[in-house]
Amino acid sequence: MATDTRREVDGSALGVDIALGDPRRLLRGAAGLAGFVVVWHLVSLTQPAIVLPSPVAVAAEFRGQLASGAMPAALVSSVRHWIPGTLVGTGLGVGAGVAFAWSGLLDDVTAPLVRVLRPVPPLALIGFAIAWFGLNHAGAAFIIAVGGFWINFYASYGAVEAVSDDLIDVGRTLGVRSDLDMVRSVVLPASLPGIMTGIRTGLGRCWMLVIAAEIFSVPGVGREILRASNNLRVDRALAYIFVLSLLYLVVDVAFRAVQRRVLAWQA
Amino acid sequence: MNRGSGATGGSPTGDGGDPGVVLDGVGKTYDDGGTPVRALDDVSFSVADGEFVCLVGPSGCGKTTLFRIIAGLTQATDGAVRVAGTPVTDPTTDMGVVFQEYHLFPWLTVAENVAFGLERTDRSEAERERRVDEMLDLVGLTEFRDSYPKSLSGGMKQRVAIARSLAVDPELLVMDEPFGAVDAQTREMLQRELLDVWGSTGKTVLFVTHDVAEAVTLADRIVVMAAEPGRVDSVVDVDVPRPRERGDPAFGDHVARVRELIGAGP
Repeated sequence: MATDTRREVDGSALGVDIALGDPRRLLRGAAGLAGFVVVWHLVSLTQPAIVLPSPVAVAAEFRGQLASGAMPAALVSSVRHWIPGTLVGTGLGVGAGVAFAWSGLLDDVTAPLVRVLRPVPPLALIGFAIAWFGLNHAGAAFIIAVGGFWINFYASYGAVEAVSDDLIDVGRTLGVRSDLDMVRSVVLPASLPGIMTGIRTGLGRCWMLVIAAEIFSVPGVGREILRASNNLRVDRALAYIFVLSLLYLVVDVAFRAVQRRVLAWQA
Repeated sequence: MNRGSGATGGSPTGDGGDPGVVLDGVGKTYDDGGTPVRALDDVSFSVADGEFVCLVGPSGCGKTTLFRIIAGLTQATDGAVRVAGTPVTDPTTDMGVVFQEYHLFPWLTVAENVAFGLERTDRSEAERERRVDEMLDLVGLTEFRDSYPKSLSGGMKQRVAIARSLAVDPELLVMDEPFGAVDAQTREMLQRELLDVWGSTGKTVLFVTHDVAEAVTLADRIVVMAAEPGRVDSVVDVDVPRPRERGDPAFGDHVARVRELIGAGP
């Protein structure tokens, strides 16, 4: 049973990530992970299951939830507000960040507003989410989008601000005449590394907000975690936390692969 | 001889009468609240079509400011720069501009960098490709056409920058210390190559440098500037036949004379 768990952990979670590095790192990573599971198991022997369930128990619960269809259903539900929330938040954040950083006028007009709105935590907007969208995917997506927006806004804004004036000058001497052409041909490609770092950070933050957004009982992984915790089913909560980590990992590894490809000129 | 000038600039090409470049009383004052600083004062000289003119002077004489004004990147406070009779107020593709630090677009390959200006002209794609090939051949970088700038040496980067600025076939090439950031050997090689390109294309070249020997190697005429405020001190004709050798006494005489005018050390 214990070996079972370990294979599950290795194979699906860290294997994907570390397989991209060199074999020595992979081995060390696997050793660290195995060590963690062993220590966890040993500690769990001294504790009641409602304080710390053993990895074996969590794995069994994981399989049970998977087999019953509860976990896949929760995942699908979470993904259904994660995807639109992330897309909208990322799109608007990058768009606004680039536009405000490029246009002095827009920047002057919006700077005070940005300072006022920035400190508002996405969760403080839950009331609005419910009032405007209701207890549904759209409401949860709204919370996620707000969180994703700011990360992408600041990353893109900073990246565009950091584009060297020299490249802009070169663009002008080579016949770039319109703002649109300058942004498309010089500013965006030059700031893409910073923008993509922002998107990657935002993807992770949006996953975290999935949990928060489901506080008001929109179905999904987050609600399952909260429910399991309320019922003192720590094993179930851990199983769902674990599936969330896996999903984040998959998305992050996929995005990093895209990033490496798009930014091949940097390597 | 020319396959038409760059499309977007749209200024008329000089036909016989107008000299290539005319600077007429160009002045520049920086006034950002504090004491106004006079960077350039009444700079006037002209460059004939096909002529190679170097601009030298001590640091702080406003060489780079003047370069930016000629390129249309900075506005003069007084006077005007005219290229082929048209006043320069913005960058124009009738003028190729080469900067000291290359400033290649790092996300574009060598060939894509060279094609950047061409994409903003009305040339057909086939024509653009042919032109890129021609330019890469001219600077000897054909085999690096698909490399990214990151993998190139300083000398190679500057060759790409020169090819990129020449691609749209401008009448005039304006260069700001283009070989200032490469080692001495590469610099001499690039100087020879630039003279070859100049000889084979018949461009007008305005070349800013602080290196007097470089100016004497390259120029038909040297405009010597003085500082505070930046102004033209004198203009020296370099009547030494090319190729010029540094060991040639006439070469040494010219270097000594220009250095004396600048008031610089050895």
